[in-house]
Amino acid sequence: MKLEIGRINIKDIQFGDGTFVQDGVLTVDREGLTAFLKEDERVAGVRLDIARPGEKVRIIPVKDVVEPRVKIEGTGAGFPGVTAKPSQCGQGRTHVLYGAAVVTVGDIVGFQEGVIDMWGEGGRWTPFSKTCNVTLDLQVVDGLDTHTHEETIRLAGLRAAEFIGLAGRGAEPDEVLTYEMGGIFEETEKYPNLPKVLYAEMMITQGLLHDTYIYGVNAQTILPALMHPHEELDGAVISGNCVAACDKITTYQHQNNSVILDLFAQHGKEINFMGVVMVPEHTTLSGKLRASDYTLKLAQMLGADAVVVSEEGYGNPDSDLLMICKKCENAGIKTVLITDECAGRDGMSQGLADTASEAVAVVSTGNVSHVVTLAPAERVIGNPESIAVLAGGWKGALLEDGTLMCELNAVIGSTSEIGYHHVTCRQY
Amino acid sequence: MQRTIVTNNPAVWDKYSANALFIEGSAEQVLIRVRDMVHQGYELISHPLPASLRIMFSPYRSVIIGEKRGAADHLEAEIAEESIWKYRQKMSSREIDAGNNADYRLIDLLLLDAALKEDQGGGQPPG
Repeated sequence: MKLEIGRINIKDIQFGDGTFVQDGVLTVDREGLTAFLKEDERVAGVRLDIARPGEKVRIIPVKDVVEPRVKIEGTGAGFPGVTAKPSQCGQGRTHVLYGAAVVTVGDIVGFQEGVIDMWGEGGRWTPFSKTCNVTLDLQVVDGLDTHTHEETIRLAGLRAAEFIGLAGRGAEPDEVLTYEMGGIFEETEKYPNLPKVLYAEMMITQGLLHDTYIYGVNAQTILPALMHPHEELDGAVISGNCVAACDKITTYQHQNNSVILDLFAQHGKEINFMGVVMVPEHTTLSGKLRASDYTLKLAQMLGADAVVVSEEGYGNPDSDLLMICKKCENAGIKTVLITDECAGRDGMSQGLADTASEAVAVVSTGNVSHVVTLAPAERVIGNPESIAVLAGGWKGALLEDGTLMCELNAVIGSTSEIGYHHVTCRQY
Repeated sequence: MQRTIVTNNPAVWDKYSANALFIEGSAEQVLIRVRDMVHQGYELISHPLPASLRIMFSPYRSVIIGEKRGAADHLEAEIAEESIWKYRQKMSSREIDAGNNADYRLIDLLLLDAALKEDQGGGQPPG
């Protein structure tokens, strides 16, 4: 399977007549996009805005972030199974407006947090302070239940990314990245001496505001599924969860999954990267036992020597993470775990409640309890009242001058458990 | 397959009162009652903790418990104990978010609905 990602570098963004890219500037047809989104009769109103890197703008509460793209060659246009008919992702050529993002904003429930600061201390922690963002604040018609409300906003974000992505159709990419990988037997024949590595990507799949979709299928309903890595990089996986701001995997991060990209970079050099197992995180213990057994079985069937496991969320998914770890290690398959930690404000507490002697290689993507100080914004996109939600967790968090102190919990993508963020580890 | 929902959520009580044990108290007290029942041999059906940090600050928690067996299951007891530890650790620097009670009641109920469907084997999300 061969996938070409053509990156069209976007350095600025503006509203204007038509949607196109010229000299690295993305122009978006505001009226056209609004009309397109209003084709969904559940959408009552659309507020579009722009947030550029460095501007003193705060976006809150963020639901999802999506990268605008367009399919140039091959199947898999749009988000198959969601915004388009089902078709195979992961092959052909896709053009990406690299440096641009669609950010969906809006309350579905009152306790949503999820902040993107485009500047300053907050901007240092979220990867989406570096993208030129079109923000999409939707009002839905009265009387929608929460499930339908969530779906309406989710689909609008994806459709907006498709609409804007069309600007990439006529543009010449600044860079073309080529990903190519044959069948598992073929690759193993090519690299007989390299360790065979599988990636198990855990996804929150537990109900409203806690869901993930693969080709439009709610992953709550699946057994762990083997996917070609290209598929996720090409729009097969979308996010439907939005209450774990710091460690939710946004759709944008699925489209640019750092673990997949890093494993690709080592494929044929240090490892033989075999593919991705999408692992649902269930609520029930039975579900967790079944999913971890099934993940091990797939690893064994494929003859994996090692499994890299990334978590999504915090709390009950920690149990899934360690179940997979223990089962694989005890079966002779090495594991590397990727997770964030809740190590207290000073970082000195034990990071994970669950411990296992089998967990010998763990990568931390940051401490969710780390406190950050966010200066007052000149402009707030979304709901300014949500800022009080951020500060509502503890006394003294909102200072008189409007400066806000909050935990990294609240900052979108700040402790990304697939490593798509700005935190790094240093040995000293 | 007998199921009992240990809950402090009035919305859950309203819907499932025939199969619920209502706790007049905090989310932590729900976790403690669950832990005690698991040690007494009741089967732990759903994980006591949520999957996201924000829901950890919720004043409401609902956990599904099964039938009483002969002895406590080691893994279930460990999960029930660790859940309390983890909840206390996270809440030691936070306060319960009391300003959004209606929404927390609703989400706790909807997530419980999804867990019950999953438990029934279908895994089909509601709605």
